[in-house]
Amino acid sequence: MQILSKKHYGYLLMVLVFAVIIGFWQPHALIYGIQRGSLYALIGLPLALVLGILGVLNLAHGEFLTVGLYLSYLLFHGMGLDPVLSFVPVTLFLFVLGGLSYLLTVKYVLKAGHLSQLLITFGIALILTELINSIWTTMSRSVFTTYSYSSTKIGNFRFGTYEFIYLLAAIVVLLGLQLFLKKTRLGQATFAVGQNPAGAQIVGINVGFVYLFVFSLATAILGIAAAIMAPRVAIFPGTGAPFTMKSFALAAMAGLGNLTGILLAGLALGIGEAVVNAIPGGGGWADIVFFGVLIIVILARSFRGAKQ
Amino acid sequence: MKNRAILSLLVVLAASLPLFMGPYFLSVFSTIFVFLSLSLSWDMMLRTGQLSFGTAGFFGLGAYASVLLVIKLGVNPIISILLGGVFSATLAFLLGFAILRLRAIYFSITTLALTSVFSVVIRNLPRLTGGASGAVLPRPIFGGDPQKIYWLLLLLTLVIIAISAFFRRSRIHYAINSIRNDEITARSSGIDVFKYLLFVFVVTSALQGVVGAFYAQQYAFVAPEATFSLNFLLLPIAMALVGGVYTTTGPIVGALLLGLISEYLKLIMPYGHLIVYGIMIVLVVLFMPQGICKPIIQLLRGKTKKGGVQSADLGN
Repeated sequence: MQILSKKHYGYLLMVLVFAVIIGFWQPHALIYGIQRGSLYALIGLPLALVLGILGVLNLAHGEFLTVGLYLSYLLFHGMGLDPVLSFVPVTLFLFVLGGLSYLLTVKYVLKAGHLSQLLITFGIALILTELINSIWTTMSRSVFTTYSYSSTKIGNFRFGTYEFIYLLAAIVVLLGLQLFLKKTRLGQATFAVGQNPAGAQIVGINVGFVYLFVFSLATAILGIAAAIMAPRVAIFPGTGAPFTMKSFALAAMAGLGNLTGILLAGLALGIGEAVVNAIPGGGGWADIVFFGVLIIVILARSFRGAKQ
Repeated sequence: MKNRAILSLLVVLAASLPLFMGPYFLSVFSTIFVFLSLSLSWDMMLRTGQLSFGTAGFFGLGAYASVLLVIKLGVNPIISILLGGVFSATLAFLLGFAILRLRAIYFSITTLALTSVFSVVIRNLPRLTGGASGAVLPRPIFGGDPQKIYWLLLLLTLVIIAISAFFRRSRIHYAINSIRNDEITARSSGIDVFKYLLFVFVVTSALQGVVGAFYAQQYAFVAPEATFSLNFLLLPIAMALVGGVYTTTGPIVGALLLGLISEYLKLIMPYGHLIVYGIMIVLVVLFMPQGICKPIIQLLRGKTKKGGVQSADLGN
């Protein structure tokens, strides 16, 4: 199995050099950037998976994450379930919710062109946000656990340790997806569908089932992200929304079908964002890192495409 | 013409509304007109086949330009509304050279990202724009008189409807229709695709800027979160879809229908009444890609045959 193919070495080296320079200059920004960046990558992976296999940009991606966060919150306050352990029920629930969303809506617009696909996922996003809004209002909720604020000290440099769980989860999910795509029959079928759906159909792959499974799986992965980030974020109806754009930024940067690239892009952008945050007076500009990179990458690709 | 008589009757009716309606209903209709105008301008861009998510962005730019012109330079509010449109148009013209070369999801996402960029930039220039807390005008336009606001907004809406109708009837209509149906064929028939896209993009952005400027003058304030709210994108899209895209009547009917329904829902359901927009978007895309107007008109005219309207389908 190859997680890092040759094309990744260059990028990996770039990210490493970048990280080392930042590490000496702003160690806090490096730690924080790695943590945030892994979270972005963890959330970006399923979006890239759906975009790569189904060709659908799911604009309701962040809203599915929000649903997962609220579920984790409910399990914590209703049953006293530990938020990190709640990833099992949350993941199962989102797997089913993703499957239902696919069967009821996305399935019917797969051949209808990008316009219908964008609009329908936009509609789903709006329904989910407003549904949450009508049940729990816009009030901000939180899940508090003591361990999620634990920290450690190296020399006289103190930093939070809990959020390294994002890096662990991102790597586990990435390895799991690679193993699934290379080693299992369904995974190989998924790979084939992503490359050529018509050809896959001809050789007897149940393309409809692969689409259903991939969409459910992608939504389920968001359950893992939701459960582990629940103790560290303010939970309100709009929590997940910004992650849709950020995930797409990673997918655009890494290119289609490049899952390892998502992690590297996530780390690079996470560190970049943290550095801008660390510059005095730069805090407000940090949001622009993702959008700026997104616009530049898309434009660069389009101009390169136009010349060929 | 019978149609012309009905049309002028409707205009007279709309104009005389303030004479027998209280300020509450006037403000409801004013809000509907704002979204109606945005909806039409979004649809005019969609007719070229480009799905723009930048409506809220150019709306906000116009709003900020107009308010800052009044506060900092003491410009007359009505002139500042027009200048708000000019500002949006200028930026759309400059950005258009880069982003109008993009297609499909890349165009949509870039316009959405630009909306966020505008809002972040404005939030981070506190000396000029008031930063995160926004800027407040000393008084709203016409001193907040709901009747005058209504009439000016009605005038603005009628102008936008006229522009939209003109776009449907002139040479531009055939050019942008062919771009939407098949860009390569359009190009090989000698249509300067980029020129037409840029023209439509600048005109629609100008309209969005003017509407945004008016909205800001009406409520006498701008703030990054409120002015660049995604509601100014989502609601117009839902309205155009429900009424029927690629037409002038569609967004008008959709805006009136959804505007009144959501106003009613707001009373019984203070949180989450916008859910009706989400449900409408999903249902219309799935079951009625042509919107509700066309089937009803066909029913009224007794035309039961299906087909022959393929070009109006969403699936292009």
